[in-house]
Formats: sequence, C-alpha cells, structure tokens
Amino acid sequence: MILDAEIYLGPNLFGPGLDEAALLHSLDAHGINRAVVCPARPPDYHLGPANDRVGAAVRRHPDRLVGFARVDPHQGPAALAELRRAVLDLGLRGLLLHPWEELFAVNDPSVEPLLGFAQERRLLVQIAGGYPLVSHAVQITDVAGRFPEVSILATHGGQINISGRGLYDAGQMLRARPNVYLQTSGVYREDWLEDTARELGAARIVFGSGAPYYDQGFELERIRRLHLPSGDRDAIAGLNLSRLLALI
Amino acid sequence: MEILDAHTHVDESPTLGWLDPPEALIPLLDEAGISRAVIMAYSDLPGPRPETLDYVAGAVARYPDRLWALIRLTPRHPEEAKRLLVHAVRERGFVGLKLHPVSFALPPGHPLVVDLIRTAAGLGVPVLFHSGDDGQSTPLEIAPAAAACPEAAIILGHMGGYFHTADAIAVARAHPNVYLETSAMPYPQRIRDAVRAIGPERVLFGSDGPGCQPALEVDKVRRAGLSEAEQVLVFGRNLRRLLGRSDKTP
Repeated sequence: MILDAEIYLGPNLFGPGLDEAALLHSLDAHGINRAVVCPARPPDYHLGPANDRVGAAVRRHPDRLVGFARVDPHQGPAALAELRRAVLDLGLRGLLLHPWEELFAVNDPSVEPLLGFAQERRLLVQIAGGYPLVSHAVQITDVAGRFPEVSILATHGGQINISGRGLYDAGQMLRARPNVYLQTSGVYREDWLEDTARELGAARIVFGSGAPYYDQGFELERIRRLHLPSGDRDAIAGLNLSRLLALI
Repeated sequence: MEILDAHTHVDESPTLGWLDPPEALIPLLDEAGISRAVIMAYSDLPGPRPETLDYVAGAVARYPDRLWALIRLTPRHPEEAKRLLVHAVRERGFVGLKLHPVSFALPPGHPLVVDLIRTAAGLGVPVLFHSGDDGQSTPLEIAPAAAACPEAAIILGHMGGYFHTADAIAVARAHPNVYLETSAMPYPQRIRDAVRAIGPERVLFGSDGPGCQPALEVDKVRRAGLSEAEQVLVFGRNLRRLLGRSDKTP
C-alpha cells in the first residue's frame, strides 16, 4: 500500500504542471495506490477553479485520489468561505497551505480561522514547509502549538537547507509538536529520516513526492532504500497516511 | 563501471551532533558499489578541534585503498590556513581543499579566500566549495572566485542546492575551470541538464554520504538519462582526471 501525500494538479504558475492523465499514469508507473492531490496555483491566480478541478478529478477517481483544498489566507473571510465550499460542496478532505507561493507567514493570525475550520471538520493539513521567512520549522512549531488537535504534514520535514542548518529546528519541531508529521518530499538527508524513525517512531514520517516539483520515482526510491525495518518503511510509504486520512 | 564519490564526510562533531567515523561511511560505499570516496571534515581548520587533521588523515590511513581526503580550512586565519594546506598536500597525502563559506562567513570572492584558492592551484589540487542556497555559497557568489583564479579547478558541491541549480549550470558554462558535483540536491533531471549544457567532462558524482545515502545518490544519477559513455565520465573518470590519478594508479 503506497500513498503519495503531495502531488500538484493542473496548470502551474510557478513551473511545470501535471494534468490528470499524466498524474494517474505516473501513479501506475510507480506502483502508487493512492495520492493526495493539491491544486497547483494556476497562471490566472484563481484558486477556486483549481479546487473545482481537484474535486472533479477526485469524483472521477475516488479509489485513487484524495483531494485537498488550497486557499490564500490573504483573502480573509473569502479564504474561509472557499475552504468551506471546497470541503462541504466538493468533498475535499484536507487543506494545503503554501506560504511560499501565496507569500504569507504560516504563523500569521490570518491562518487561524482556516485551521479552526480544519479542527472542526477534522481535516488533515499540509504545510509547504522549510521555506525561508515564511514556513521555517520554528514558525510551523508556533502555529501547530495553537492547534494541537490538528494533524499537520510538513513538507520537506520542515527544512529546506542543504547546509544542514535546518535540521536542528526541524527536529525540535517534531519533538515539541506530536501533531506535526515529517513529510519526505525532497528532504535533505536520509540519516535524518532514519534517526527520526528510531527516536520518535516511524509513525511520524509520511511519504510524499511533491511532484511535479520533484521526481516521483526518485522520491519513492528514497523511502524504499531507508535503512529501517520493512515494517517501518511500509508505514512511511503509505500506512501512516492511510490512518491519518481514515482510509483504513 | 567504476564509481568514485567526490563528496563524503568523516568526522565526529559533538557541536553538530554528527558522529560519522569512517566505519559509518565504508559500508554505505560498499552498498552503493562505490570503490573510493573523497572525505572531508564537518568543521574548519584552524579551529576549536585541531585534532580534525589527524582524524581525517587517520581515516585514510585505515582505508588507503578506499578514501582520499580534502582539508577543510577557514581563510580567516590566512597564514595558518596556507601552512596547513601545504602541509596536508605535501606531507599528509591530502588531494585538495574544501571550503564552506557558510561556516567561515566570508564572500567567496574575498581576497583572503582567493589567496587560499591560489595556493591550492599552485599545489595542483582542486577546491570543492559547498554551493547551496545560503548566502555566500550560491553559485553566482562563487563565480568571482572562479574568475579570479582561472588556473584553479573549482567544484560546486551540491551544484547550487534546491534553488540555484540553474545558476550553477550558468556559472560552469561561463567558467571552464568550474565543475558541478551532484550530491544531495533532489533533481535527477538537473544532472542531465548540466551534461547537456556544459558537456559530460565537468560533472562529478558525489553523495554527501553518510548523511545522504550513497546508494540513493547513485540511483539519482542513473535516473538522469545519461549515455553509458557519459556515466563513465560522471561516475569516476572525471574525478580521476581532476585528481591526477590515472586508472592504473591507486
């Protein structure tokens, strides 16, 4: 059972886009059973139609895809209204916050109504983590502490730093906030994944590819090759996310 | 196909909590099919842990057919750094210089850095820069050092990290003395882009092991869609040429 926690669907303002057919083909090619699909931010900036696109894809492939809503906290009440619509009308199951592409600090007060709704509806939240100034691990630690009942996936494990200088804060984030999970897309250092599994348990680690920003096959290979017991690798590759999404 | 690794670490740094003796690295090299690796420390000399020189040299002495070593220095102590570099290369068998500007906090084009690079070039050994996304380590910041020392072989370790691979390729295209090293950055496709842009002779496989898993890093290069001949160069022959080691010499 392999689940990918992070794929972006649709035309992408910031780079390569992935359409529904290519996305499904990639899942098949890599033996991935299901995936969390998040809207890419489209070139016209409008997240509402992008959420619609994810909703339609999920309705066509309910056995393969789980949809997450994407909103821009800068839009205030309109962001909360869009999140409500995406969840209640479109059937999306989680919330993606992308502080780097929407340009907000993830611990900004404008995020609180969205996380409040996520708590009320038991939505899984994914934060594009580790981006300088906006989603550093200490900022995720801050906001996650205000919503201890909300489960949060931090992409890149909350650190994007090839000098290794993000590792300390990301480790402290995972220790201090049991509701935060290390999502593995593009992550720096496999020994950190292995050490985290040994210290905090493999249940705290969730595979995500971050496609199309990252190479889905390579990102899955990162998990397959971890020097951990096969049960831990299975948990990371899919079982943990299945549990978080209440699929099993 | 011979696989040589241009970037690995051997050190025990209580400050960082990174405890990686050669015994941690060697099994990972074995798993990855890597016959030899270039090792370096996690901290600079001169510094608070002067024993690092002997520690790294000792690792090579224990595994002489598996490891080569770079000496990692800070140009903030210019005379002592130069003395250590000459000593390490001439008397201790080190094969090059590692510079981590995020650690010593000087711009790569600073006269003290350039001076140390020139010393390395004078000794006939290459210089491996950490080149990622932090200030003072991005490819465009290293470019002035490469321009100031055209006689020096400058390797951009991590080829620009997460956000600066395009800059790394552009810098290598502009400066024929610049090499790109593949470790840790997460994009197989950028390795192909690099080979297409600058040719296969100046792209070097590196893993950043043992922190990054060498077998996974080998897999990453295999995914880049290079020809067999290009892989022979990237995985080993380029590094042998750069270190002045022919296939026949150890």
